[in-house]
Amino acid sequence: MPYLEMKGITKLYANGLLANDAIDFSVEKSEIHAVVGENGAGKTTLMKILYGLEQPDAGTITLAGSLVSIRNPLDANRLGIGMVHQHFKLIPDFTVVENVILGIEPVRAGIFVDRGVASARIRQIVEQHGFSVDPRTPVHQLTVGQMQQVEIVKMLYRDASLLILDEPTSVLTEQEIGKLFVTLRSLQKGGRTCIIITHKLQEVLEISDRLTVMRKGAVVAVRRTADVPDRAELARLMVGRDVLYPLTRVKKACGDAVLELKDVTLTQRGRSRPLLSNINLSVHSCEIVGVAGVSGNGLGELEDVVAGLQRVTSGHVLHLGEDVTALGAAELRERGMAYVPADRLHRGSSLQSSVTENMIVANHHRFLRAGFLKRGKIQAFADGLTKSFGIDGGPHVPIGTLSGGNIQKVILARELTSAANIVVVAEPTWGLDVASSQFVYEKVLSMRAAGAGVLFISSALDEILGIADSIIVMYRGRVVAQLANDQNTQSDPNVSKQFKEYIGEYMLGLKDDFAPTNLKGKDAQP
Amino acid sequence: MKGKKSLGDFLASLTGLALTLLISFALVIALILILSKTPGKTLFYFFIGPFTNNYYLGNMLNVAVPLVFTGLGIAVAFKSSVFNLGGEGQVYAGGLATTLVCLALPVANGFVGVLLAIIAAMVLGGAIAGFSGYCKMKWNADEMISSFLVSSAVVLIVNYFITGPLQDPHNNMLASLPLAHQYSLLKLFPPSKLNLSALFAIVMAVLVFFFMNRSHIGYEMRMCGLNREFSRYGGINVSKYLVLPMILSGALHGIGGGLMVLGTYGVLYEGFSAGMGWNGIAVALIAKNNPLGVLPAALLFAYLDAGAKAAMLSGDVTFEIASIAQSFIFYLVTAQALYSLVHRRRRAA
Repeated sequence: MPYLEMKGITKLYANGLLANDAIDFSVEKSEIHAVVGENGAGKTTLMKILYGLEQPDAGTITLAGSLVSIRNPLDANRLGIGMVHQHFKLIPDFTVVENVILGIEPVRAGIFVDRGVASARIRQIVEQHGFSVDPRTPVHQLTVGQMQQVEIVKMLYRDASLLILDEPTSVLTEQEIGKLFVTLRSLQKGGRTCIIITHKLQEVLEISDRLTVMRKGAVVAVRRTADVPDRAELARLMVGRDVLYPLTRVKKACGDAVLELKDVTLTQRGRSRPLLSNINLSVHSCEIVGVAGVSGNGLGELEDVVAGLQRVTSGHVLHLGEDVTALGAAELRERGMAYVPADRLHRGSSLQSSVTENMIVANHHRFLRAGFLKRGKIQAFADGLTKSFGIDGGPHVPIGTLSGGNIQKVILARELTSAANIVVVAEPTWGLDVASSQFVYEKVLSMRAAGAGVLFISSALDEILGIADSIIVMYRGRVVAQLANDQNTQSDPNVSKQFKEYIGEYMLGLKDDFAPTNLKGKDAQP
Repeated sequence: MKGKKSLGDFLASLTGLALTLLISFALVIALILILSKTPGKTLFYFFIGPFTNNYYLGNMLNVAVPLVFTGLGIAVAFKSSVFNLGGEGQVYAGGLATTLVCLALPVANGFVGVLLAIIAAMVLGGAIAGFSGYCKMKWNADEMISSFLVSSAVVLIVNYFITGPLQDPHNNMLASLPLAHQYSLLKLFPPSKLNLSALFAIVMAVLVFFFMNRSHIGYEMRMCGLNREFSRYGGINVSKYLVLPMILSGALHGIGGGLMVLGTYGVLYEGFSAGMGWNGIAVALIAKNNPLGVLPAALLFAYLDAGAKAAMLSGDVTFEIASIAQSFIFYLVTAQALYSLVHRRRRAA
């Protein structure tokens, strides 16, 4: 008798999408169970039903042997089900304690919040699980990993015995992921049950005991993780066809430099350490330069600077040999820059606007007659892109109603045009499933084949190793390593693994090829 | 190019509005039943009165005219996520500019004079609102507060002109010298005050609609309004669109004020436009910032106004009953509209 059993769960959304089609899903007591599947496979819907955020049209839920009805998250909490959302639901100005007790504050003398009792219990939970947060700190001072810990503490404080974690690793650094896994194991030892939703195949294999694979609203496989031989097998289960893995890259000779950064420094008032410090790099045509680093080490700032959205404090940015340091996004775009931003929901798209309106943001000047937009031409343009990039939904719908993968396709369709000679791509597959990621890689590679230079900024080392011709590693706003990424580091899994660990040491700041002392020794100038 | 919404969404949004109106009308009926000694007659005049003769009907339509302009002004600003709360001062200043031009040119050709007077109203209104936009761009001064404060000062300055240099010495009213009669606009529906400016209002609503939804600048303004970060990323000059929508908004307010002076009064009365700026906000919110929706929304406000006037003249209630209904609609509409606007503003900031 499984601990949790969901039977025949069916959910038909008002827009006609059959998100869950008679799903049977079960979890054993104190196991770590992974739910994997592509975007839109119905994983999140199933978990929302379990947490009371959605109501199923059919089906039953049995928890610990008794039939339950979960109408809202409060019901779920009462039954001991807790959820850690992908986007944290914390109040930044509140302390850890205040966030944790929000909604179930212990009350003294009728009106006062009894912080003492709450703090003591929270401190106990924190210590018991080896978390690194101080309960008195305001949440906005915490790192992303610590915020997630607060979310978990919140659920433990509410005595959740079944924890649902939605994409828990997507925002974490490698070390934080390690810590999270330790936490999950300790929760498991304490008799709690965890369900994790994820796309990251390696992690599924590492942490889960069993896994359920979903595809198009149905369960296609339930396996013991130990029985799944490797990632490729898992990917095949998820998408139902063989995914190219690894990428095939044709080596091409690099041309002239299209983008160069010379001693670029970015400082911020009130911060002693510069956000970017003496960055030197160059991207040539037909070359993909991967920028690796743990998030928070200057990747985002580098992205802003090369995209023309952030003025540098000192140093120069060169495009095709000309100084473009002072130019903004509009001029850079005119010169042939394409830019796929990391923040695709806020910067890369205007969610309430239609797909068409999103597609013309940078080039609507091309569709003008006497100051008015040529609607026919724009329509044809959008229809063409929608078709050639296989975007679901059509050009009239607000882009915010599309799935993450389709939103990214719209952005790629807009940016990756033949006119681009330098392509800046940041975290392009964040939160995307295998097939969508593959699509992104193919498009980036096709830009390189067409002669563009690509700056590929990503905190996912795997994809950089898979796609980049050379790799730059950043740590605390500085370039700490510049490495070639040649064929043999990819083809041989053993070499690849070693290379990954080697780069990992740079990413964590354990090694530094350009340490300031070295620099002084090398090019000391009077 | 606008996202086509499903019929269901559209009906749902109408239901909310219909409910608002229903509650407001119910309130009016309840008030009349309580306050009036002859409720049947008063109710009749309130709801049917505006349609009983040309005079009432024309005056009702005429009241809607300036509301169309202020409503359009607010819609343009709100669509771009800039907040113009200085409508009161901008309308009033538009009236002053028109009066100054007409008094300075006592014998010009009527057409030329009217054109110049309206341009002056437009420029002054636009400049006053644009100043707040400029402060926002330059020093990040909240345009919502600065436009309101500037407007309050402008009202006092216009009052000074009316009671000082422009005052008509032969008249006890707080009003300027009368404008030369060649500047008064063609009356459309005598004996009512409805005049040519009603046609301007309709044309302007259509123009603003096409400008916002079809033009290059309109597109950039809307994108900045929805998501400023996205617009900057796309290469749109976002700081320009902190100022331009304010200028356009102020210009529309100014025209509204100028046309009231030319068409309705023929003279600049103290406080002639009081409330027009605020009601413009309500009109824009009811219209959900759609320039074409501003027309029926302005008519609704004018209808309540006219109904109350008719009920006051032929029944036994006071004019305040319309104000109560209007403010009630205002509360209900703003409650839902401000909620979404504030959210959008946060995202766009």
